[in-house]
Amino acid sequence: MSSLLARFAGNIFWLGRYLERAENIARILHINETYGRDDPQGPDWRRVLRLYSDEQRFLEAHDDTSPPSVLRFYVLDRNNPSSIAAAIAAARENARSVRHLISTEMWTQLNIFASEVRTLGQRDLRVNTLSSAANLVVTGCQTFEGIAEGTFFRGEPWCFYQIGKYIERADQTTRVLDISFDRLLLDKDDAIALVQWNLLLRSVSAYHAYRSRHPGISRPHDIAAFLLYDSEFPRAVALCVQRLTERLQDIETRHGSRRDAGVETARRALEFSLETGPGSELTPDRLHGFLDGLQVELGNVSSAIRQAYFV
Amino acid sequence: MKHAATPKPAPPPLLSEYDANDFYCEIMGLDGLPHTQDIRNRLNALDVPAMRQRARSAEQELFDLGITFTVYSDRDAIDRVLPFDVIPRVLSPDDWNTIETGVKQRVAALNAFLHDIYHDQHVLKDGIIPAELVLGNDDFREEMCGVHVPQGTYVHICGTDIVRDEKGAFRVLEDNARCPSGVSYVIENRHLMMRAFPDLADGISIADVDSYGAQLARAMAAVAPRGVSYPTVVLLSPGVYNSAYFEHVYLAREMGAPLVEGQDLIVENDKVYMRTTNGLEEVHVIYRRIDDAFLDPEAFRPDSMLGVPGLFTAYRKGNVTLANAIGTGVADDKAVYAYMPRIIRYYLNEDPILENVPTNICRESEGLKLTLDKLDQLVTKPVGEAGGYGVVIGPRASKRELRELRAKLKKDPANYISQPMVRLSVCPTLVGRAIEPRHVDLRPFALTGDSTWVLPGGLTRVALKRGSLVVNSSQGGGSKDTWVLV
Repeated sequence: MSSLLARFAGNIFWLGRYLERAENIARILHINETYGRDDPQGPDWRRVLRLYSDEQRFLEAHDDTSPPSVLRFYVLDRNNPSSIAAAIAAARENARSVRHLISTEMWTQLNIFASEVRTLGQRDLRVNTLSSAANLVVTGCQTFEGIAEGTFFRGEPWCFYQIGKYIERADQTTRVLDISFDRLLLDKDDAIALVQWNLLLRSVSAYHAYRSRHPGISRPHDIAAFLLYDSEFPRAVALCVQRLTERLQDIETRHGSRRDAGVETARRALEFSLETGPGSELTPDRLHGFLDGLQVELGNVSSAIRQAYFV
Repeated sequence: MKHAATPKPAPPPLLSEYDANDFYCEIMGLDGLPHTQDIRNRLNALDVPAMRQRARSAEQELFDLGITFTVYSDRDAIDRVLPFDVIPRVLSPDDWNTIETGVKQRVAALNAFLHDIYHDQHVLKDGIIPAELVLGNDDFREEMCGVHVPQGTYVHICGTDIVRDEKGAFRVLEDNARCPSGVSYVIENRHLMMRAFPDLADGISIADVDSYGAQLARAMAAVAPRGVSYPTVVLLSPGVYNSAYFEHVYLAREMGAPLVEGQDLIVENDKVYMRTTNGLEEVHVIYRRIDDAFLDPEAFRPDSMLGVPGLFTAYRKGNVTLANAIGTGVADDKAVYAYMPRIIRYYLNEDPILENVPTNICRESEGLKLTLDKLDQLVTKPVGEAGGYGVVIGPRASKRELRELRAKLKKDPANYISQPMVRLSVCPTLVGRAIEPRHVDLRPFALTGDSTWVLPGGLTRVALKRGSLVVNSSQGGGSKDTWVLV
């Protein structure tokens, strides 16, 4: 059997990344809309812009940060490469290129799902419709993931799919934690703090998992440690990095592609940062610096993989 | 107590109102074909609303599966499906035997002809076909002279367009010896049909079409460069924006071959490699779905972004095989077509099993005169156009169209052939709320490595507009499942 074409490795990597991205954006919008209402000030949509470091880019094209325009930007705007519409369209285009390497069921589901997403419009962004639109996206992405789990041949293409998915997932978790943590610490009012914590946990599907790990009173440190290091929480950064490492090893040992020094260096740096951690005295500044560092290192791993395998 | 409802009258049998209008009908024949009796009975047990219901879900399935071609506009990509008609076209074992042997004969003659014109050119020296028609043809590739191709095979994949006249006789309309497309629809149509109408085919023995991918892989392996026992075969596509991209995906998957684009290949030391996650890997056979002109910017069109620089030299040196070979376009030229019966006799010493449609060659004064005299009765075709473009059907053309055609003919007679109007056969077709006759043709696909294999059946294209004879998908054509009874 011949090796995987370099271009296809890239296509499959991005297929995994874009679907993971769309799922996370949709969940964050949904959670912000639904649970953010518990906050006396109402849902804070600037928070979402900060989360993705999109404030500047957004304000260049928009006059205000009203909920409708932020929602439009993240759901429908095809000119925003990280909108749901753009991410799903890009996922489908990538899947189209590697259609002969993924299962027919994966392709068919994504094809139908993408056409559903194409029909989303302004009417789906209202208070009473947003939640079902976001749900459609989350469910569509998760269905794809489930079909991939059950039908995707575990060869080299699958490894790149997993790698893309885990890099994106780790990145998304660091962002959610980063943007929420200052408020976790600053809100002295227990009732408001609880709202914020729950909102954060729900944004990464961690609410129930965290509760079973930490029944009773929560401290911000526990939440941060859980999202970063819990070995049984599937969106924890360390677990994502561990899966990423395993798939990179598979590519070399099981699929015969060459070891790449650049990828290895970048991956070790990421691993080392995670092992070192943000330090025991957790201040927002320190955590922010730490998470920023992780995002940069995830980006470095991603570019090293691109250099080594996609060109 | 409720009153018993008056029983609704049973719907009329599906084909009871059907009238083929004196055309030869693929299901009814001229007066009822014995081999389709069983199928007719089953069709008659269905009614139009039920057919429409099933046809709609079949069409939705095509969209869902992404069996589509994409039309790109500035802003958006629109997916279209090739319209699918749910009433199959049926061929008897005898029909198929004629087509299969006839196609094999034709492919053998095409390969012998191509080998000859790119080597000793006996056929020109013996005056079987005018030399200028071949040597002056835009698709004659002088670069191919003296180039050895494995197994002497030039046309590895051939699509022969066949029609049936009013008496039910098969006639070849056109050879497609470059990159014939449509075979994926043959197989997908069958799958669709078996899902939508399992009851229609139940217990009827129909020749299987699923082995095409394996046969294609076999043929490609048979033409690998000498000394290569485990050749790496790839399919070279222009990419996702090509309208036949679905088919490229389909065939690559069926062959288990990588689907590559020009950017994935590189030539070093006259050998072809693909860029993989593990570095460069040598490629031995390329099933290319890119025209000659775009294959290699160094040898042909320098502006080609789709091709691979240096590919032609690697090919000429025998380090890689291209399927189809370069320069086959000269053999499926509409003007060369007219000489095919003579070409078959010349190389094979046999009479053609499948007749041509009689053809006037306008480059010859006699042919031009005949054409100009009967312009309003003939079908006139430009020789250099594909996809049915530029075809003028005399009896249906306006006076103005005929006047314009006459001027074009006089200006550039060599660009035209003309043929009598063939009264193409029809097949019952679901149109709106009725079953009506629509004209069909047939494109069987032949694969040749060291021997020739023909996929049973082929693509039945149907002209969905009433009275239309143009079956091309670009001009309102659709397709049907083709059943070869065994």
